Amino acid sequence: MTFNVLVQAIISGILVGGVYALIGIGLTIIFGVMRVINFAHGELMMVGMYMTYFLFTLAGIDPFVSIVITIPLMFIFGGILQKVFINRIIGTLPQNQILLTIGLGLIMSNSIMLAFTSDYKILTTSYSSASVSIAGISVSEPLTISFLITAVITAVLYWFLMKTDMGQAMRATSQDREAAQLMGINVQRMSILAFGLGASLAGTAGALISPTYYIFPQVGSAFTLKAFVIVVLGGMGSVIGATLGGIIIGVVESVGAVTISSDWKDVLVFTIFLLVLLVKPSGLMGKSRM
Amino acid sequence: MKSFSLTASDTRGFSAPALVIGVAILAALFLFPSFVQSPYVLHMMILLFLSTIMGESWNIIGGYTGQYSVGHAAYFGAGAYGTLILLQKWEIAPWFGMWVGIAVALVLALVIGSICFRLRGPYFVLASIAVAEIVRLTVLNTPTVTNGAEGILLTDIPPFKIGATVITDFVSKVPFYYISLVLALLTIAVTWLVQHSKLGYCIQAIREDQDAAHSLGISLSFYKNVALAISATLTSLAGSFYAIYIKFIDPTTVLALDLSVQIVLIAIIGGIGTIYGPVVGSLVLVPLSEALRSNVIAQGLINSGIVREDSGIGIFLKEHLAHAHVLIYGILVVIVILFMPDGVLGFVKKMTKKSGTGD
Amino acid sequence: MLKKIAVAATVLALAIPGAAQANKVKIGFINTITGAEAPIGENLTNGAMMAVEDLKKKGIDVDLVKEDDTGKPEKALSAFEKLATRDNVAGVVGPYTSACANAVASQADKYKVPQLVPAAAKEEITQKGYKYVFRLNAPADVYSSVMMDAILTLGKPQSIAYVYANTDFGISTVKTAQEYAKKLGIKEVANEKYQKGAPDFRSTLSKIKSLNPDLIFMVSYEVDAITLMRQSKEIGVTPKAFLGAGAGFTTAQFLAQKEISNLVFSSSQWTDDVNWPGAADFGKRYKAKFGKEPTYHAACAYEAMRIMAETAAAKGGDRDKTRDGLKSGSWKGIMGDVKFIDYEKFTNQNRHEMLVQQIQVGKYETVFPSKYATKKAIYPFAWK
Repeated sequence: MTFNVLVQAIISGILVGGVYALIGIGLTIIFGVMRVINFAHGELMMVGMYMTYFLFTLAGIDPFVSIVITIPLMFIFGGILQKVFINRIIGTLPQNQILLTIGLGLIMSNSIMLAFTSDYKILTTSYSSASVSIAGISVSEPLTISFLITAVITAVLYWFLMKTDMGQAMRATSQDREAAQLMGINVQRMSILAFGLGASLAGTAGALISPTYYIFPQVGSAFTLKAFVIVVLGGMGSVIGATLGGIIIGVVESVGAVTISSDWKDVLVFTIFLLVLLVKPSGLMGKSRM
Repeated sequence: MKSFSLTASDTRGFSAPALVIGVAILAALFLFPSFVQSPYVLHMMILLFLSTIMGESWNIIGGYTGQYSVGHAAYFGAGAYGTLILLQKWEIAPWFGMWVGIAVALVLALVIGSICFRLRGPYFVLASIAVAEIVRLTVLNTPTVTNGAEGILLTDIPPFKIGATVITDFVSKVPFYYISLVLALLTIAVTWLVQHSKLGYCIQAIREDQDAAHSLGISLSFYKNVALAISATLTSLAGSFYAIYIKFIDPTTVLALDLSVQIVLIAIIGGIGTIYGPVVGSLVLVPLSEALRSNVIAQGLINSGIVREDSGIGIFLKEHLAHAHVLIYGILVVIVILFMPDGVLGFVKKMTKKSGTGD
Repeated sequence: MLKKIAVAATVLALAIPGAAQANKVKIGFINTITGAEAPIGENLTNGAMMAVEDLKKKGIDVDLVKEDDTGKPEKALSAFEKLATRDNVAGVVGPYTSACANAVASQADKYKVPQLVPAAAKEEITQKGYKYVFRLNAPADVYSSVMMDAILTLGKPQSIAYVYANTDFGISTVKTAQEYAKKLGIKEVANEKYQKGAPDFRSTLSKIKSLNPDLIFMVSYEVDAITLMRQSKEIGVTPKAFLGAGAGFTTAQFLAQKEISNLVFSSSQWTDDVNWPGAADFGKRYKAKFGKEPTYHAACAYEAMRIMAETAAAKGGDRDKTRDGLKSGSWKGIMGDVKFIDYEKFTNQNRHEMLVQQIQVGKYETVFPSKYATKKAIYPFAWK
């Protein structure tokens, strides 16, 4: 395996890792603020993909442009889910929370399947297979654009969490819910905010990946598992951790596919996951720090 | 969660009317194939028993010990693959092959237990999923042993003989009916024994408060591992049975995350941590799934005039309701978690208590 | 005189319905109607329905019992059991996918129900000596050999890389390709299996690019075919030829991806360029009825249904007699000459010749064998 192939694998891995990071960040915010393990996270991404698809085919809006519509819509969707369903089980057994979100995920994916059939949908844009050649390495155009958008979103999110009142309230809630409540923070509202934010991030990740991937109702479950690996690796509740975790996993998958084989790369990812759980379950960045 | 109390139905002694009803039901079940010949109905009963076996087995580690494994497909697959690999490659009969399946499942349980039991709550769930996926991917990627993605097709089951007399050659569904019935009763009996033993006391204590149990001197890892071992063995038996009944297995049918989730749902929807919960769960889910799949519900709605056949809704229902059964599972889980934490069984018990006819 | 005619007419009128009733036959049809391979399965359903209509015009009334296997072998097995025991069909056409067809084939002799496989590639299906299993289409070894034979008329490729889905279809087709390539002295430089539904083949493709194979042999169902070609273009993988061994490379959806599907070769059981009786007409009628070009699956299903129904009707719906009729009969139709014979390791296999197509300017053109070719193949490959 030549150096060229290795560099190519690393570059591709970093670019795909950007999208993974976005999914992971959403999941980690939800866990950080609400201590809920959202097993329906991949399905939220899937909803974002379908939204993007219909905006593209019915209204002709480019997927990267349509995220300005997808983000607020998904935010509202996430908020509704939180208020109607998830709110009732905050503070109960984590096992029940997991099962509730599993149930919600099943409902989402199967409703979409009923409505739109399980036929695969392909979104074809003018740049879907375009790439730029830099020093012999082929850099995917659509992936680069989504990486840049992800970077911008992550920066904005970080600024929101660090510099705004609401963001700081969210961080306080994730550090210590009761103390935050005593300080006068409306923790209920924080939960709605967190879930809405998580949903819109997941939906955006779906929108960003849709020019290069394909869309079907069950696409979410593979990404949910990956999201968990990323979040545990990065540290549950840490945004920086999820970002790092996403990129690491993207690179591991990509390099694993060329060094070992594409069959075993998923086994590699899950093995890393187990090792992290056993050796350092708080992940790279530790727990409860956004 | 559940309060640890002993109600009349949990005590060792059975009330007389309960005993009579129980015996009557057992007799009816055993005599059933003599009266009902339809292979379709027998098939439904077999699916019901299989679902009960899977739910009861999971319940021992999930419901009673409070360790929610969402990776039980690994044990199911161990049983299925162990049995069929031996049968197709070395012509070893399934009643011997299934022991290999159990052995593999126990090894897996030991490995999973030692890795995952030190993790709490949600982390344990995630770890159990990861291990099951590793098992599935390994089976998928070692085709020389397991046939990989192509799966294993069972061509002939050797006739079951005692001495020189052939008991059955497995052509009709009747032997499968009895095998699955016996296995189902076995798992229910094991659950009952566990609940009324020291093991049951200890694992329920672990479920209620792990640290308190530990401080009482209960060895956490020992009891958790024993419970998992029992659960894995029984689930493996279910997998072995599935393999010789359905006659085709591949990593997607016997090792997938979907299967693990469905196993959990049977116990949750029925009533977790109770002896008959998974039975109730099976009684709800299996007929519902089949009624949807065979369009009975859609047809019924149309025939009864609630929905017109040629209306938009009518056409939609006829076309699509058949594929909605997983959607219904999802809806049921959400309803149960939000409104019926003790499952359908608990809900029914509460309702009958309220109306004054309770125990 | 008129009275005699009237009597004769009445007698005839009474007799004919009786005769027509003798030509009523119940056939089972197992197909992937829902699930991931449903878009291709749709072609089979449409082809079968067209056959039923045409048969009705010929006086054969087919009671078609359709079953959905959703692409899962265990569902195909229970569907077959239902058709055999509850519906009492005279014969079964299908299933579509290799895995499902193989599962049903293992039970056909047990239930003594004749099964006619229309389009499944896996060799094993007709290699077990089953008496009741018949296959219309050419098996997997021909998918591979016909494409490599086509390339040999264009150049002298030295090396080959395999990229394929980790499924029954993928593995069995590549196995046969490897055997044939070895015979031709073509060196294998890469063998990459991928999980169905993987989003990212980029690193695998760049590894293949660095090895510079002359041929890339791919086996994928629909969406993977599109993703593979998209990412191949991105990475800039440029072999002398892309060989797409069905099924995802022969669909209208793949064709529509003009950026990436151009100049890809695929092997096919049927195109509308052949001079088999009724072939061109079938293509036209299908397009008029369903709004798109048929894939080869539609033609296979049409002919399989026609053969099964005609044979079963002639034998009064008796299963054993139908089986004998299939074994001894011969037909000529839109799939050319059909006869189920035993040869080499195969039993009841129709020795069907396959064709190679290439996508040129947004259309499928038949390029091999030359007796059916409408255009010359373009070789070597180049991205537009």
